[in-house]
Amino acid sequence: MEKLASMIIIGGTLFWLISILFLGGGWRPQMLAAGILCIGIFVMYASEGFVGQETDDDDEVPE
Amino acid sequence: MAKKERVTEAQEWQTWAKRYDIDGGIRTFESGLTLKVFLGALFIGLLMMPGAIYLTLVSGQSGAGAAPWVAVILYTELARRSFTSAKRQELYMLLGLTGAAVGAGTQYRGFIWYSYFIRTPQAASYEIADKIPWWVAPPPDSVAIAERSLLHMDWYWPIVMFITFKLLGVMRGLGAGYVLFRVTADFERLPFPMAPIQAQGATALAESTTKSETWRWRIFSIGSMAGLIWGFIYIGVPSLTGVMMSEPIMILKIPWIDFTPAIEGFAPTGVFALSTDFSQVLTGFVLPFPVVFSEFITACLTQFFLNPQILYRNEILHQWRPGLDVRGTGLYNGLDFWMSFMIGKAFSLALIGFAASIPIMIQLRKKKKASGGQRVLAPPAGRGDFPIWFMGSMWLFGMGAYVWIIHKLMVPNFPLAFLLGFAFLYTPLNSYVSARTFGVVGADLFNIPYLHEMTLILSRYEEIDIWFSPWPDEDYGGGTQGWRVLELTGTTFTSKIAADLLIMPILIISGILVWHFIWKIAPIPSAQYPDAQIKWPFNATNEALRITSLRDGNSQMLQALRGDYVAAGFSSMLAIRGIIWMSKVYQGSMVFFGVISGIGGDPGMMLPKLTGALIGRMYMIKRFGFKRWFQFNPVLAAGFGCGVGLIGMVSVAIALISKAVIVKPF
Repeated sequence: MEKLASMIIIGGTLFWLISILFLGGGWRPQMLAAGILCIGIFVMYASEGFVGQETDDDDEVPE
Repeated sequence: MAKKERVTEAQEWQTWAKRYDIDGGIRTFESGLTLKVFLGALFIGLLMMPGAIYLTLVSGQSGAGAAPWVAVILYTELARRSFTSAKRQELYMLLGLTGAAVGAGTQYRGFIWYSYFIRTPQAASYEIADKIPWWVAPPPDSVAIAERSLLHMDWYWPIVMFITFKLLGVMRGLGAGYVLFRVTADFERLPFPMAPIQAQGATALAESTTKSETWRWRIFSIGSMAGLIWGFIYIGVPSLTGVMMSEPIMILKIPWIDFTPAIEGFAPTGVFALSTDFSQVLTGFVLPFPVVFSEFITACLTQFFLNPQILYRNEILHQWRPGLDVRGTGLYNGLDFWMSFMIGKAFSLALIGFAASIPIMIQLRKKKKASGGQRVLAPPAGRGDFPIWFMGSMWLFGMGAYVWIIHKLMVPNFPLAFLLGFAFLYTPLNSYVSARTFGVVGADLFNIPYLHEMTLILSRYEEIDIWFSPWPDEDYGGGTQGWRVLELTGTTFTSKIAADLLIMPILIISGILVWHFIWKIAPIPSAQYPDAQIKWPFNATNEALRITSLRDGNSQMLQALRGDYVAAGFSSMLAIRGIIWMSKVYQGSMVFFGVISGIGGDPGMMLPKLTGALIGRMYMIKRFGFKRWFQFNPVLAAGFGCGVGLIGMVSVAIALISKAVIVKPF
């Protein structure tokens, strides 16, 4: 599911960049890209829901 | 190469939440409301309310942070000399009640503001002055305004309406705030990083009444001394010299030192105004480092690269001209691009906030299955919780009555559908997203500018009274932090609510009296109130522009809104969130919150916070150890706030005494 989310997000981001650079930056193509990204974000969080590991609190200085 | 483990967003927040917890999360709950606490709060609060109001007009800061600490310090000293001890719950209750008492005065600022606005050249030239409704302020030729008196019959209806709305507001705030707290704290277990400051402060002082000196009291004292020194430099000197001289001496310019004209050579359209409020260093100690750092970097990229090299070169920012200061540059940049972008950004935050609850729902279902269908959201025993349905119903009733009054008495011609939409769709959405951002970064990041204006365009409503009417678009997100502090201090919720209801009628009356007196001393704004003198004329222009923005087809600010820029804000933030997640950046969700709060921002305003964060990370953690530092810094911040407020109060007291001697109100 993580891979699916990543692919959707990459696709949406590239489409958004294309809409800015080559399609005049109009709101319609941007919102289409946003729609793809929305799906990617939801899939992303859904994939996190199935991660069951617990992490421990630590005393180490964060890197 | 080993595969990077993914840490989910929920795990990040819950790890941070543990760092901010006190007593290892083990709590027993007690009532904090006693007669001596109630009377003490009333006494100190009413004594200091004038000072808080005066400080707001002088320096832009209320200084109300001091009064609760003064009350608590006095209380603890009395307890020690009486050979008794003070409970943490009592001290936190005292903090809350005194804060409410001192802060009660600021609610009436609107009366004075509209009394000023109604007589400004801006209100006259834009033909607003004679159209301000009866529930806002008396007419410009009113005797009450000429004599600068709030104790006049002309103020009857504005005050009655205000009190009615206040009572309904309490119902709504309690109901919605509690429900959101249950969702964000009990359900999502967000860290609420700013909540421990108050909790630790109360704990430190309670421990000081025991026989042995604890680390908390030592750290609190260090913070207080630092706050006293800083407060003297920043607030004391301007306030005291303002009493004796026509122009006060400011060692550090309040509220910022503007370098915007200085950077325009290499960063045209960039802004950089260094905030001189170095108390933000303490905030930098407390907030998660990734948030503060990424916020600053993003703001720098915005002002030194994005604005000048991309947006200005492509003529997206086109109204800017050389020589503008931070306010002018910010205004034009906002009109050209950033206002629209921020709207899109706000919606992306809302969407991400909702999406973030998905994994928690999934985990909850798993836990429920594993526990055989038992309740997994049961609140801790003895906390004084209420049924969620009851609090939700109270909010519904309060909001319903509010909408009814606005519709029937104030703006009967305004379409009811819009009021209902704001009340029952926008407000819950806004509050939920805001509650989450408070739970993560201790601040509100969700803001849709010009929402009212857009609504008025859609509704085709042209009368001017709507601009003065309250709108049922509210944000209860900030209140959730207060409930979290109650929980951290082990104070029962029922005792806090009882205390607030008991003190309310007293504060309503005293607030009006205090503003009346302060207004009598000198006109507001005037040289005696420098912050108001600098900001209010500018605000009057903005207010006039805002109110007339839809008149005669003229919508200067709304013409600035561009759908493509809104879409850019929405899409870009989603893309950035996704990319950060994919790259498995350490503490990526915090980095994202830093980015979203820093984009479009002024890095100069964030520099003090960053300084604190760097000092904390590079030196303090190494010096004291990670766990100890995170125990220290909320106590330090609490002490600092106490010290700053104390010196502010002393300065105010001296200034008020001198004014009372020079100008008698009767």
